[in-house]
Amino acid sequence: MSAYVWGVGTSAFGRQTERLPAELAWEALAEALADAGIDHVDAAYVGTVFGSLGVAQRALLGVGLTGIPIVTVENACASGSTALHEAKEAIVSGRYERVAVLGVEHLTSLFEGPIASDPTDREQATGLLFPGIYAMSASRYLHEHDATPEDLAAVAVKNSRHGALNPRAQRRRPLSTEDVLSSRMIAEPLTLFQCAALSDAAAAAILGPSRRSPRDVELRASALGSGGAWDHASEHVWGYDVVRDTAGVAYEEAAIGPRDADLAEVHDAFTIGELVTTEALGLAEEGGAPARVRAGDFALGGAQPVNPSGGLLSRGHPLGATGVAQVAELVWQLRGEAGDRQVQGARVGLLETMGGGTAGIDGNACVVAVFEGGA
Amino acid sequence: MTAPAATRRPSPDPRPVVEDGPDGAVIAGGRCADCGHPSATNAPRCVRCGGPAEPERFGPEGVVWATTTIHVSSGDRVAPYTLAYVDLAGGPRLLAHVQDGPGLGLPVGATVRLNGATGHGDPQVEPVG
Repeated sequence: MSAYVWGVGTSAFGRQTERLPAELAWEALAEALADAGIDHVDAAYVGTVFGSLGVAQRALLGVGLTGIPIVTVENACASGSTALHEAKEAIVSGRYERVAVLGVEHLTSLFEGPIASDPTDREQATGLLFPGIYAMSASRYLHEHDATPEDLAAVAVKNSRHGALNPRAQRRRPLSTEDVLSSRMIAEPLTLFQCAALSDAAAAAILGPSRRSPRDVELRASALGSGGAWDHASEHVWGYDVVRDTAGVAYEEAAIGPRDADLAEVHDAFTIGELVTTEALGLAEEGGAPARVRAGDFALGGAQPVNPSGGLLSRGHPLGATGVAQVAELVWQLRGEAGDRQVQGARVGLLETMGGGTAGIDGNACVVAVFEGGA
Repeated sequence: MTAPAATRRPSPDPRPVVEDGPDGAVIAGGRCADCGHPSATNAPRCVRCGGPAEPERFGPEGVVWATTTIHVSSGDRVAPYTLAYVDLAGGPRLLAHVQDGPGLGLPVGATVRLNGATGHGDPQVEPVG
């Protein structure tokens, strides 16, 4: 038995300093419930990283979803997609029939600059902010592979072109390589436009069993993993192994290989993240992602578009909401409702979210999921 | 309830402990008695095999695995500052600040030496040669 996505919705994405997180969630939940054609659910799984204390309950209250089991999940950048995974498991096991998945985050009320991890994280305590974590991966990647800063920038250029077609994206200006490389240096070699923006947003999805509706999108498989030890004995940059291993589980469950996906929404919180992730997912060979980006394979109109939404680089990265926003994009794409950024003939979509810190762990959490339209 | 920031105690310090060694600075870590895997922490068991860990000092020499210069200030650290992941000889990977790092152009693969801690108490390395 599979779970199906009955409906999706999101708030606007951006700096929404005057709006409460619950208000953003109401917008997302109301759209998702209307899209699903239902008014009530049996349970809710809510992903949020920094706003956990009661935000789920306040959010659900505003759309009349009270008195139900609510589970709040913190799993770094994969919080929303972990909520998705748990909701799917609850449906497949028969625990609940109709489940709301919500991701919500209000970052501008917490941070002015780069997001910091927990003060008891040793890397954070040493001054390695999140852009620094990915900058370290970029440093190593450029050293090991035949890649340049222009290759990193090419990911931002591609995703900015996609994002320009996404009315919900936070950044909607198409960027040139020059724009990207001349933007403010954040953590060498990563410049500002290679970093996803701070964002306030919510995203929601309603899941249930098959109801034989052609609009419902099948969640064929999802896998949740956490990283093994990451240190001097690790063969790859941070996060590679956990994405590869989690994807392996999801591919096996869905009985597909990476080449069977018509499109992918992956975790491009920073440009280097998309290069490493597409390789770990098997969409490109190790060290081969820059050539695939240069060839246009991962762009809209290419063989296998990656982040047709514009990705986190365009949409913004409201941590807990990100994974569920990826679900919304895939559902729109697989229904053929993605407008100007529609991937023609999209039938199978891949989702990947990975997050956490580098303090000895190869990622706190990773979720890989496979969706299929035309149910 | 979370206390207001102004009255909150500082967090316990999770950073590796830097000490003076016979030949320069070292960090106090541990090594697995079963598989020999070294660690930069005082965790009781091996992160790789779960075997018992015994205290050991590592350093001062190491090789840069990756490096970045941070250009945004955070807390009371003033940018720019340079960080490196350093694989200590025979020991674990250590995140350290590079002394006078911005502008140094320290390449991946360079040999460095742990020379103590910064004013913030972060492990600090300097290039060798």
